[in-house]
Amino acid sequence: MTELGLRLAVSLAQIAAVMGIVMLTVMILTLAERKVLAWMQDRMGPMEVGFYGILQPIADGLKLFFKEDIVPAGANKFLFTLAPILAMVPALIGFAVIPFGPDQTLDVFGITVKPFVISDINIGILYILAFTSIGAYGIILGGWASNSKYSLLGGLRSAAQIISYELNVGLAIVGVLILAGSLSLVKITEAQAGGFWHWYVFAFPAPQIFAFVVYVISAVAETNRVPFDLPEAESELVAGFFTEYSGMRFAFFFIAEYANMVLVSCVAAALFLGGWNAPYPGTLLGHFGLESLAWAEGVAWFTIKVYGFLFLFFWLRATLPRLRYDQLMKFGWKVMLPIALGNIVVTAIAVFIYQQMK
Amino acid sequence: MTTTAATRRLNLLDWFKTITFYEILVGMKATLSHLIHYKPITLQYPHEKRTLPDNYRGMLALLRYDDGTEKCVGCDLCEAACPSRVIRVVSAEVPGEPTKRYSKEYYMDMTRCLFCGMCVDACPVDALGMTQEFEWAVYDKRQLHLNKEQLLAIGDRSYPVREKRLELQHPNVAFFNVTFKQMPHKPH
Repeated sequence: MTELGLRLAVSLAQIAAVMGIVMLTVMILTLAERKVLAWMQDRMGPMEVGFYGILQPIADGLKLFFKEDIVPAGANKFLFTLAPILAMVPALIGFAVIPFGPDQTLDVFGITVKPFVISDINIGILYILAFTSIGAYGIILGGWASNSKYSLLGGLRSAAQIISYELNVGLAIVGVLILAGSLSLVKITEAQAGGFWHWYVFAFPAPQIFAFVVYVISAVAETNRVPFDLPEAESELVAGFFTEYSGMRFAFFFIAEYANMVLVSCVAAALFLGGWNAPYPGTLLGHFGLESLAWAEGVAWFTIKVYGFLFLFFWLRATLPRLRYDQLMKFGWKVMLPIALGNIVVTAIAVFIYQQMK
Repeated sequence: MTTTAATRRLNLLDWFKTITFYEILVGMKATLSHLIHYKPITLQYPHEKRTLPDNYRGMLALLRYDDGTEKCVGCDLCEAACPSRVIRVVSAEVPGEPTKRYSKEYYMDMTRCLFCGMCVDACPVDALGMTQEFEWAVYDKRQLHLNKEQLLAIGDRSYPVREKRLELQHPNVAFFNVTFKQMPHKPH
């Protein structure tokens, strides 16, 4: 086998593994969301399929797979088909640059492989931002191509919302980029090693706590989750942009939403919460002399951070009512944006002074 | 209006509460406390069923006396009392007993029934009863158009203990719709 072929095989295996993990996470999330929401509301959630309802995602998937695929009359068939794909692919493609574990290398038949990141490109975060923006096209086109007023209204709302809040996401992470001096997620995460006081939420000289709050709020808004779920507001717009979708096309939008949640959680963990770094210096397994197994601890910490963040999504959904549309826009442009901009200025000055003093 | 130091401090407090999301945190604490002190109020319905009150107004049924004869005397009062026109009674004489009547046919269209219990109240001989049955979902609504046999069957399975015939219950109880030759002997 040539080296190119081997590289291709290894990369494809990595992609398959990451896709599998992401899809598994999405499956877990659909159940976890219903369960957590139910527990917070003194209900039980799904209980019928499997023990304590744990096989519910499989049942849901099977149901959606075998459902009739309806294309409404007067819909633009090409765009109607394209929209779910346009929504799902960007949500999944972002995981290519997420580092799930320590930046180690592994030799497989003579070629060097980084097992915990598919591709460590030096503009990783820019790549994620660029691709998540494409996801908005899926939503807008899905809303427009359905030939339904509810879908169109949902699509329009979500377009305005995603564009407004993507700006805030972009500006919120600029502070981190100034501190790290890199756009590569691996480098940014590595710069936060050595205890939780090195994480960029708390890091000296410019703690990014405000940027983190702005990022969290904007991320919730960008993924169209409660309390910013205006695009799919059930009480006003039936289901928003995917009102007319059914079967697997609907499932694609659904997976896209949850994959986006996982993606923003991963980015938040990597940028602000130290990624795979433990909240104490080094790793416990490393201290006990099991240096070769230290990666497991790193992956575990990353998983804990991501799932903690995802729990926050559910928690917010169980607590908060939906914002009004003008409140949403006002909040995004008049509150979040100035805070994010101010954070950039303060961070830049602090980093400059810090570097002069050194 | 002049702003005093107190109101200014209050405004500062409000401002602080706003930037720390104080109100939202209070709400989130409430939801989290429900998660931690998890006590579901759900009843897993098909597996667990709640105990119904004794006066539960469920499926209607026709009843029998303890000797197996139908209570219904075909008086049509239930039909008159019903606000939804559920009941249709075809009354007739008992063959060979000209003073005695019975319901030759008795239909209930349960798709229209609103379970008010007025027919039960109207019945002079307590021939109608409301059971505890409520799981009557069917695929074909024509199955809810019940005839006399079906209603009697519901009564048989829901009311295992039957009353004695009216004229045999007590020497002083008033009774009617009994032919003269079957009149029980009243002790004096």
